[in-house]
Amino acid sequence: MSPSRLATRAGIYAFLGLFAFLSVFPFLWMIVGMTNRTGDIILGRFTLGDAFLENARNFFEQADAPLVFWNSAKIAILGTIATLAVSSIAGYGFEIFRSPARERIYGVLLLTIMIPFAVLMIPLFVIMGKLGLINTHIAVILPTVASGFVVFYFRQATKAFPSELRDAARVDGLKEWQIFLYIYVPTMRSTYAAAFVIVFMTAWNNYLWPLIVLQTNDKKTITLAISSLASAYYPDYGVVMVGALVATLPTLFVFFIMQRQFVQGMLGSVK
Amino acid sequence: MSALTLTDIRKSYGAVEILKGIDLDVATGEFVVFVGPSGCGKSTLLRLIAGLDEISAGTMAIGGVRMNEVDPSRRGLAMVFQSYALYPHMTVEQNMGFALRFAGMPKAEIRSRVLDAARVLDLEPLLKRKPRALSGGQRQRVAIGRAIVRQPKLFLFDEPLSNLDAELRVHMRIEIAKLHRRLGVTTIYVTHDQVEAMTLADRIVVLRAGAVEQIGSPLALYDDPDNLFVAGFIGSPKMNLLPAVGAATPMGAPALRIAALGDALIPLPPGAPKVAEGAPVTSGIRPEQFDPAGPVGLDLTVDIVEHLGGTNHVHARKGDAPPIVVDVREGRTLRPGDPITVRFDPAALHLFGTDGKRLRA
Repeated sequence: MSPSRLATRAGIYAFLGLFAFLSVFPFLWMIVGMTNRTGDIILGRFTLGDAFLENARNFFEQADAPLVFWNSAKIAILGTIATLAVSSIAGYGFEIFRSPARERIYGVLLLTIMIPFAVLMIPLFVIMGKLGLINTHIAVILPTVASGFVVFYFRQATKAFPSELRDAARVDGLKEWQIFLYIYVPTMRSTYAAAFVIVFMTAWNNYLWPLIVLQTNDKKTITLAISSLASAYYPDYGVVMVGALVATLPTLFVFFIMQRQFVQGMLGSVK
Repeated sequence: MSALTLTDIRKSYGAVEILKGIDLDVATGEFVVFVGPSGCGKSTLLRLIAGLDEISAGTMAIGGVRMNEVDPSRRGLAMVFQSYALYPHMTVEQNMGFALRFAGMPKAEIRSRVLDAARVLDLEPLLKRKPRALSGGQRQRVAIGRAIVRQPKLFLFDEPLSNLDAELRVHMRIEIAKLHRRLGVTTIYVTHDQVEAMTLADRIVVLRAGAVEQIGSPLALYDDPDNLFVAGFIGSPKMNLLPAVGAATPMGAPALRIAALGDALIPLPPGAPKVAEGAPVTSGIRPEQFDPAGPVGLDLTVDIVEHLGGTNHVHARKGDAPPIVVDVREGRTLRPGDPITVRFDPAALHLFGTDGKRLRA
C-alpha cells in the first residue's frame, strides 16, 4: 500500500474511531458511574468502583423500581401494538386504495410530522382533561397511536407489496380485511419488526408527555423516576446511573432479538 | 353451451376508454389466447373476466350466467399470474390448499386434491417447501397447481411464462398444452408472445388499442389475416409488408409495381383482388413463401444473414430500398454483399388497401 493511501486509510479510521468513541462514551460513563459513589463521579473518576450493589439497592429502594418498570413496559408494549395496528392499516390503505382525495389527505398527514410536540402539548392536555384521562396510561398512549411517521413508513413499505398477491387472494375468496390480516401482515413481517423496534424505543424513552399527564407516583414511568432522582437536591449520580442501565436494558433486548428483521425491514422499506 | 360469453365489453378509466366493445364466445374446453402488443388491453380484459376490475359496460357470462357483479371467488375460475403470486409465508402445500381451506372444505378433501395436483405437476417432493426455496419453473408449477385444485370451470393465465428463461418457457408451454389436453378445462391465456399464442391456442384473439382485430385459429390468422396489423403481428419473422401501386402488363392484365423489389412489373394471377392502375396498396409476403420454383424472380443483394441452423433468414435488398426477409434453407454459405435471386409465386401475395384492410377478390 502506498504511503498516501496508508495516510488516507489512517485518517478514515481515526475519524470513524472518534465517532465510535463519542457514541459509546455515554454507555461507558453509565457503566463506570453506576459502580462509583457520587463524590467520585463528580471528581471525574473513570475507573470501575465497588459501589454497584449499594447504588442498586438504593435505586430499588428510592424508585419503586418494579412498579415504574411495569408502568413503562405496559405503556411501551400496548402503545407499540396499537400504533403498529392503526398506522399499518392506514399506510396500507393509503397505498392500496385509490381515491381523488388520497394524496391531499396524505399530504396533511405528512405535515403533522413537522409540527413540534411543544405546540401540541397544551391542546392535547386540554383534550385529555375533557376526556377525563389525565393521570391515566391511556392518555400517554393515545396521542402516539396515529403516528404520521409510522403511516409514512408503512405506505413506503407497502409499495414493495406485490399487487398480484392481493389479486390472488381476492380470487381465492378473501375479503379486504382478510387480505390485510392473512396475507399482508405475515408477508411484511420484517417491516413490522423494524417498526416495532423504532416505536417501542420511542414509547419507552418518552419523557415530556408522561411528565405532563402522569401526576401521581403510582402511574409514573421509569424515565420519570430517573428524572426525579437526578433532580433531587443532592442527586446521587451512582443511583441515577443504575436507573439509566435498567431503563436501557429492555430497548437493547428488543433491538437484539429483532436485529435481523430490523435490518431486513429497513432495507425493504427503501428498496 | 358457451363457457364464456363477452358482449360489448367496455372499460374506461375516466375519459380514457381502454376496451372499446369486445364480443367473444368461448366454447367449453376451448383454449383461447389473447395476444397483442403492450397496452392493447389484453390483461385488462382478463382482469375483467376474473372480476378483479369492474366492467364499465357490456355483459360477461360464464356458463350462461351473468357474472358482472359476482365476487371473483364465486365465478368458478382460477387464475395464474405472471409473477406467480404465491403467498411467501406459506409452504407449497398451504399455498395450493389455501383457497379450499378458506371455502371451508374438509381437511381430508383438501389434502387429497393437493396431492392429486402435486402428482400431476411433479410437485410431491416440494410440498413442504416455502416459495423462496423454489426455482422459477417450480414456482410456476405451484401457481398452476393452486389453480388446478380449485377444479375451476375456467382457467385464466396472465402471461404466465414471461418471467422464465427461454428454455424453461418452451418446456412449460408444452406442460400447459398437455395439462389442457388432460383436464379439458376452458382456458383463457394472455400473452404478448405470438409463438406462445400460435402453439397453444385453439383460437387466437388479436387485440390492438382496446379492440379486436381478428379472431380465428392460429393457422387461419397466419394464412388469411384480415388486416395489416394481424399480418404483421402473427408470424416470426414477420411478413414483409411492401408498398406497391396497381399497374397493368403490356397485354392489359392486372399487375403490381413494388418499389422494394426494384419496381419490377409483377403480374397478378387470376382471382387476385382488383387493384386500379396507380392505386397505392401494401403487398405482403411471408419470408417462407419465397419459393425457388416460383414464376417470378428478382435479383437482390444480401444485407445480413441470420443462420438458425435448420434454415437461414436472409435480409436482402434491391439498391437503396428497405430490405426484405427471405427464408432460405440452402443459404449457409451466403455472406453480406452476395447477389441472390429470390423467386415467388404472386398468388402468395396478400394485398391490403390504404385503410389497412385486406383486399379480397
